[in-house]
Amino acid sequence: MDLTKAKIRDLRKALDNKEISAPELCAEYLKRIDEQDGKLLSYITVTKEKALSDAENAQKIIDAGKSSALTGIPLAVKDNICVDGVRTTCASKMLENFIPPYNATVIEKLNAQGYVLLGRASMDEFAMGGSTQTSAFAKTRNPYDLERVPGGSSGGSAAAVAASLAPASLGSDTGGSIRQPSSFCGVTGIKPTYGRVSRYGLVAFASSLDQIGPICNDARDCAIMLNAICGADAHDATSARVETPDFTEKLGQPIKGLKIALPKEFFSDAVDSSVKACVLDAAHELEKQGAVLVECSMPGLKYAIPAYYLIACAEAASNLSRFDGIKYGFRGEGRTYEELIRDSRSRGFGEEVKRRILLGNYALSSGYYDAYYKKALALKQEIIRQYNQIFEQADVILTPTAPTPAYKIGEQDNDPVKMYTADICTVTVNIAKLPGISTTCGYTADKGLPVGMSIIGKRFDEQTILQVADAWESGFVPLAPKL
Amino acid sequence: MSAYFPTMGLEIHAELLTKSKVFCTCSAEFGGTPNSRCCPVCSGLPGTLPVLNQRAVEYIIKAGYVMNCDISRFTKWDRKNYFYPDLPKAYQISQMPRPVCLSGTVNIKVNGEDKVIRINRIHLEEDAGKLVHDDVNRISLADYNRCGIPLIEIVTEPDFHSADEVIAFVEKIKLLLQYAGICDCKMEQGSIRCDVNISIAPKGSTELGTRTELKNLNSLKAIAKAIEVEIDRQEELLENGERVIQQTRRFNEALGETTAMRSKEDAHDYRYFPDPDIPPIIFTEEELEAIRNSIPELPEQRVARYVDEYGLKPADADIIVGDKRICDFFDAAISEYNNPKAVANFILGELMNRINRGEADMDALKFGGAEFAQLVEFMQTDKISQANGKTILREMLENGGNPKDIADKGDLWIKEDNDLLAKVVDEIIANNPKPVEQYKNGDQKVFEFFMGQANKALKGAASPKAIQEYIRKKLGE
Amino acid sequence: MAVELKTIEHLCELSKLNYDEDGLKKVMGEMGDIINLMDEIKEFDLVYDDTKDGNEIRFGDTREDVPAESFPTEKLLANAENTDGCYVVPKVVE
Repeated sequence: MDLTKAKIRDLRKALDNKEISAPELCAEYLKRIDEQDGKLLSYITVTKEKALSDAENAQKIIDAGKSSALTGIPLAVKDNICVDGVRTTCASKMLENFIPPYNATVIEKLNAQGYVLLGRASMDEFAMGGSTQTSAFAKTRNPYDLERVPGGSSGGSAAAVAASLAPASLGSDTGGSIRQPSSFCGVTGIKPTYGRVSRYGLVAFASSLDQIGPICNDARDCAIMLNAICGADAHDATSARVETPDFTEKLGQPIKGLKIALPKEFFSDAVDSSVKACVLDAAHELEKQGAVLVECSMPGLKYAIPAYYLIACAEAASNLSRFDGIKYGFRGEGRTYEELIRDSRSRGFGEEVKRRILLGNYALSSGYYDAYYKKALALKQEIIRQYNQIFEQADVILTPTAPTPAYKIGEQDNDPVKMYTADICTVTVNIAKLPGISTTCGYTADKGLPVGMSIIGKRFDEQTILQVADAWESGFVPLAPKL
Repeated sequence: MSAYFPTMGLEIHAELLTKSKVFCTCSAEFGGTPNSRCCPVCSGLPGTLPVLNQRAVEYIIKAGYVMNCDISRFTKWDRKNYFYPDLPKAYQISQMPRPVCLSGTVNIKVNGEDKVIRINRIHLEEDAGKLVHDDVNRISLADYNRCGIPLIEIVTEPDFHSADEVIAFVEKIKLLLQYAGICDCKMEQGSIRCDVNISIAPKGSTELGTRTELKNLNSLKAIAKAIEVEIDRQEELLENGERVIQQTRRFNEALGETTAMRSKEDAHDYRYFPDPDIPPIIFTEEELEAIRNSIPELPEQRVARYVDEYGLKPADADIIVGDKRICDFFDAAISEYNNPKAVANFILGELMNRINRGEADMDALKFGGAEFAQLVEFMQTDKISQANGKTILREMLENGGNPKDIADKGDLWIKEDNDLLAKVVDEIIANNPKPVEQYKNGDQKVFEFFMGQANKALKGAASPKAIQEYIRKKLGE
Repeated sequence: MAVELKTIEHLCELSKLNYDEDGLKKVMGEMGDIINLMDEIKEFDLVYDDTKDGNEIRFGDTREDVPAESFPTEKLLANAENTDGCYVVPKVVE
């Protein structure tokens, strides 16, 4: 069976029609991983044995005629989502040998459907970065150009799907970590509304911004994945007590009359002209389908990067304090408690993680709190207000997903400021707790690199952004990477 | 007389009597083998999240009401960040700018005088774990069973000027929390703990001196002693022209002295910020009213009931109410036998006597208020003598059982044996001509002598009333 | 622009991180650049109102106080150096 760009729904049909068995399908993906991932490095751990036994179980469910949407579907899971008994490293030396004794809620939900875990996708260390080059174990490469980054932090999840080393994957998104690698790798990834998916079992980076979401070949598969993982959770007080709709419901409905806002600040000089052109072309295509383009403004974007980094790093500094070498993780040396934890943390964390911890503690420390952290919270309220204003006159917002296509490995090394400002297009969506989906809107003329656009929706209106992404994808022919 | 006067404020931590911990579903019971009452959440595993226990919030609101606080309609939780091996997340979930309760008052009585202590705030937080130090191997062993037990921290204004006031306040808080049913207040188990902020200033001065914070005060005795020695220490410093350094000091009960904890302790920058995992909470007036209405009868109300309705002496009522276990026992007894005065007298005179001598323990009483009430009723209705009543009580304390069975078995009933009464009293009168003479000359006091002799000889075979009447009759002849 | 040495040392203390001499020099420079970027927010002059985040829940939506079974101790300790059911910590110096 040709697995190139295979969709979940195609595999579902093949499995249910007994064209292929779940163990056979699993074995085919494992074979592809075995052959291709040596140069791509999208997986940190391939859970071969578990995958095959998962697949055996899935086949029993299929044989009993009780299959759900994801029964027997092999998936890659980002390495910061806890799976009981499976090493979960967060791509950090700190957690190199950490085996969680419990399942994340999303994993429980996938288990309930009989999914198959192919392996753990690489990422930036503790999800801090946009290139997957801060991974301590697998510095993933872009399937469209092995010299380039796959984006990040869910770079492994995006690259694996792009290279068909998994039909779909789970990522997490704190400031763009699902959407930006989806854009770089030419796949479709959605960050759900904050609170839509339980964060229980997701190793926290910034708790008020983190959200788990799927990366797939298209919006339709994203909808199928969302149906499986969303819902209120008694283990996560920030999970929203809202009804989970059928996310496939609005797919295929015409977008005639739908208002799409284009905030002008997202199309500034900070964004590559090739990217802008691609996104605007797509906007006009949607207009041809009957959508109405609306001009608007988001002046708060100017302060979005500091606001985002101050909030995210303050929370991260606190969230990552628990890694002290005592309870789990890398245990350094030291005769006293103080010496031991300092050594564990200094050697266990990578440089970018340490910088963010320092920044977070700076923002929270006595004398600086009001000027930085509290100011960032004020800005958060202002950004939410500005989004609300735009949504008074539009149904969705369209922006580039990243200012550039995938860049060369090493290009942003040693320049944290450049790295941070590259997140400009995605961070406000997390700050405002909105859902956002990135889908491929074209390829650069010179190098054929994918360019992504983001569709941002109102809170808990994933259905409409899936509808718009699907409307675009229905007339777009994606190019598979040549590996 | 000292030239200085002390000023003190308290921080009292009390563990709440919830069934589960404050942010996870582990049992909140005291003790357990190490790390047996733990889960991924309270032991701080990556990826886990806290989920707030409703009853803990209900209880702190009750605490606020019994201390006359304002209850915030909007409350939220913050992280207090610091590294210590008993704190697995390296932050404690607590409350900083928006605690549940603000500005209350508590009335205390010190040496007969009434005084009002102002409460600054009460907030809800989680307890930390326990460390056992192994000095030989130079390691500590961490047990997280206590991690996540809900705590309220009661912060007072600096309204105390003597150890007596502090003790009276702590005792009052213990009673309030116990009667409200939100803390068992077992100081020896650490379910209520007290830190004292203490400073001294020259008499007449309007400014407060530099304060120190006393920690590790495990009993009322320790509190009183620690305050005394710390005041002495500060006075000595000032007398010698030195100054008091703001620091945290640990009280060493064995040595009877306070010692500074490492100075770094004071340099902490806790970097409080709102916990993004726990949404703030809003209350409706109806919810708060329902919680207020569910507060059980409080100590002052009980004293009033005993004095006004039952006619107990205020001092007696205070003693009974002063121990909730005894008070509940009293209420149980009078619901069986509606003679509060007699029940109170037997509790105060006999039961508490036994307890004070260590012969009985209210936490391990082998009988209930009903059995006790029955015994009092037997004594009041002349079915059992006072002396035998005490004997029966001792038997009940030792082996349990009910008074009827014990009286049957030991043949302790008053039998109203008039023949024996006549024989015994006649004999006593015959053998004691001198007291008889004195009585006849108008010395009424010797009557007690004859009663005593008769009681002793009759061993409950006749009721006191019958003995009295017969003696009077014989002596009057 | 680099941040002051004493600032970075204080942050290292709060963060429980060590740097060698070269590392410290490097991170001082990087942190200086990062803080410059963060400083842009200072010109923004709105005030934060913590009651207006709109993320509060009702009292009745909190968890009911029902205890559940705890976790097997050995499973919790599996990733830790442990003895007698406890986590082993080097001596805490006071």
